[in-house]
Amino acid sequence: MFKRIKSVIFGSLVLLLLVNVNVVLAQGEALYKAKCMACHQIHKDGTGPKLFEVRKKWLDGGANAESIYTWVNNWEMSAKKDPYAQTVSTWAPIAMSNFPELKKEEIDAIFDYVDAQAPVVAVTPEVTDNEVVVEDKGPSTWFWVMIAIVLFVIVGVVSKVRRDLKNALSESKSGEEFDQSYSMELRTWAWENKKLVGLASLIIVVALIVLGFMDLNSIGIVENYQPTQPIEFPHTVHAGVNGIDCKYCHNSVTKSKTAGLPTVNVCMNCHKQINGRTSVQQEKIKNIYAAAGWNPEGAGSYTGKTKPIVWNKVHVLPDHVYFNHSQHVVIGGVDCKQCHGDMTKQKETARVLPVSELNEIEGNVKLTKPTLTMGWCIECHGEKEIHNGPLNGKNNGYYNEIHKRLLNNDKSLYDKYLKDGKVTVKELGGWECAKCHY
Amino acid sequence: MNKLIKLFGKVTLLFGFLWMFNSCSKDPNSAGYEYMPDMYRSPAVEPYVDYGELRGRIQKSVSNKMSVKTPPKYTIPYFGTNKEEVMLMLPYHRKPSSTSAVTHGLVEWDFSTNPQGDYDYQMAAADMNPIKITAENAEIILKKGKDLYSVNCKHCHGEKGDGQGSMVVSGAYVGVPNFVDKIALSDGQMFYSIYYGKGAMGSHAPILNKKEIWNVVHYIRSIQNPEYGKTNFMSTSVTTIVADSTKTTVK
Repeated sequence: MFKRIKSVIFGSLVLLLLVNVNVVLAQGEALYKAKCMACHQIHKDGTGPKLFEVRKKWLDGGANAESIYTWVNNWEMSAKKDPYAQTVSTWAPIAMSNFPELKKEEIDAIFDYVDAQAPVVAVTPEVTDNEVVVEDKGPSTWFWVMIAIVLFVIVGVVSKVRRDLKNALSESKSGEEFDQSYSMELRTWAWENKKLVGLASLIIVVALIVLGFMDLNSIGIVENYQPTQPIEFPHTVHAGVNGIDCKYCHNSVTKSKTAGLPTVNVCMNCHKQINGRTSVQQEKIKNIYAAAGWNPEGAGSYTGKTKPIVWNKVHVLPDHVYFNHSQHVVIGGVDCKQCHGDMTKQKETARVLPVSELNEIEGNVKLTKPTLTMGWCIECHGEKEIHNGPLNGKNNGYYNEIHKRLLNNDKSLYDKYLKDGKVTVKELGGWECAKCHY
Repeated sequence: MNKLIKLFGKVTLLFGFLWMFNSCSKDPNSAGYEYMPDMYRSPAVEPYVDYGELRGRIQKSVSNKMSVKTPPKYTIPYFGTNKEEVMLMLPYHRKPSSTSAVTHGLVEWDFSTNPQGDYDYQMAAADMNPIKITAENAEIILKKGKDLYSVNCKHCHGEKGDGQGSMVVSGAYVGVPNFVDKIALSDGQMFYSIYYGKGAMGSHAPILNKKEIWNVVHYIRSIQNPEYGKTNFMSTSVTTIVADSTKTTVK
């Protein structure tokens, strides 16, 4: 009987303890997230040092047992009293905030929660499809050239033997020296098969002319241009998985003619902390650190030694064309994907997407002419509706004046424009030469 | 044998011809044929063009030095003649902390002379939002603020400001604080943090100008308090620090 009571008491005690531990951990988690998380990660140094087993670290370092609690409440006071705390205060130039409101039990709860988080096992390189690309280009062009040369030699040798035999035969028949050259032999053969040769040469000539003209059509067409870049930047990860807006990195797109490449400080807004999970990623991110002059050791520090990243421009327009991004994006309300495609799916470096791929994207104006040609531009200007007039509610005022003038000056012209129920860019002067060429 | 070589030469020429027809369009590193190559590279300075090699002329001294330059120090961009606008866009009078070259890469800035790291941040509490929000203009200001917030802040701080942006949800980034309940934080300090960066966050001065940052500050207030701006009221944090505002002088 007594034994039973004892076991019940013991069991309930264990239960209480477990519940208590859970309560403490939950309290610690809440406090950690509210007070510490912005600067202190659990297993990795960031703005502040990592917190995992920090109490043990301090004791091993020779600090007094109380020092770490004083530190959280007021680190300057702690640094004055304890030599170990003094060394900790030199860890990084950013001073820690003081938390005088935290009690000793609460600080312990935070550390209990932090210590209960298992260390992350070093991630083995993930075999994701955008990391490991199997090189499958097939044999190179030189391989085929070599094969062609070998075949030519064989054909040459065989025909030489055949001709020698044939000459010998003719000689034995006629009795005189017989040495018909290749061209003479070919001519004889062609004369004997006049019709066939004539037809074949006609087909070849016509085909060459047609091919030549088709090739002329590819002049000035940059579809599928995909220059190699100093860093193989995956848009899928940044714009896709992590959901960063295009305009955050290409931030001059709303203000300037060019969309702009992000300066390295924009990269560093995230990459100060993110240094890559796999070795491939780490190698790539080291390029950013070299460019920004960032030394990731410890708290990390900028050394001031910067080195520009030389990106290669992908979407190039000729010098005689004026194109303004802010006009199209802010005033015209054109989405980036209308011209650049869905970059959240672009695994490799940026590429000029052919018009057929752009047309597959939902919401795009469907066009026929090749990307980045003049036909492509004016085709869109002829189709795209100007939303910002008095025609509908989406009014940011930019086109009010031109709509007003159309209404006041020539009502019949405006009525003509409105026949199809919309006012296009073309009708507001989007097909004027001087809009883009001057 | 001589004739054989001649024939061989002809055939290779033909093949070479066909090969040439084929090759240009397949190499992703080639932009293809250009109709007038000299019209593609402008002698006038254009952004993102390497002027070290222009029309075959190589000039190492200007390579990657002509475009995307920092404006000369102490120049002020022109923002029209509207006095309020001009005053608003004058350079920010608070200086970055003396340690910010090392911690935030603000290398060539004028640093605060005060040795205390967060002195200017504390002083910034006195700054009031120069864009006055009233019941009439609240809708426009908050819409503008929301647009800017969703482009520049949302991926980390989350749509609701709870620190659960797509970067955090995907596991790429940790340690984004929840600012919904940080009502005590003053407008001026919010501005200072966005402008020069704070903790892990970098400086956003190169991305957003002063007017835009103040707009974002208004929007953050409206996340914290859905009633913000709907009635003519001053947020509590502003009223408490008005007394100190005499100290803010434009240097």
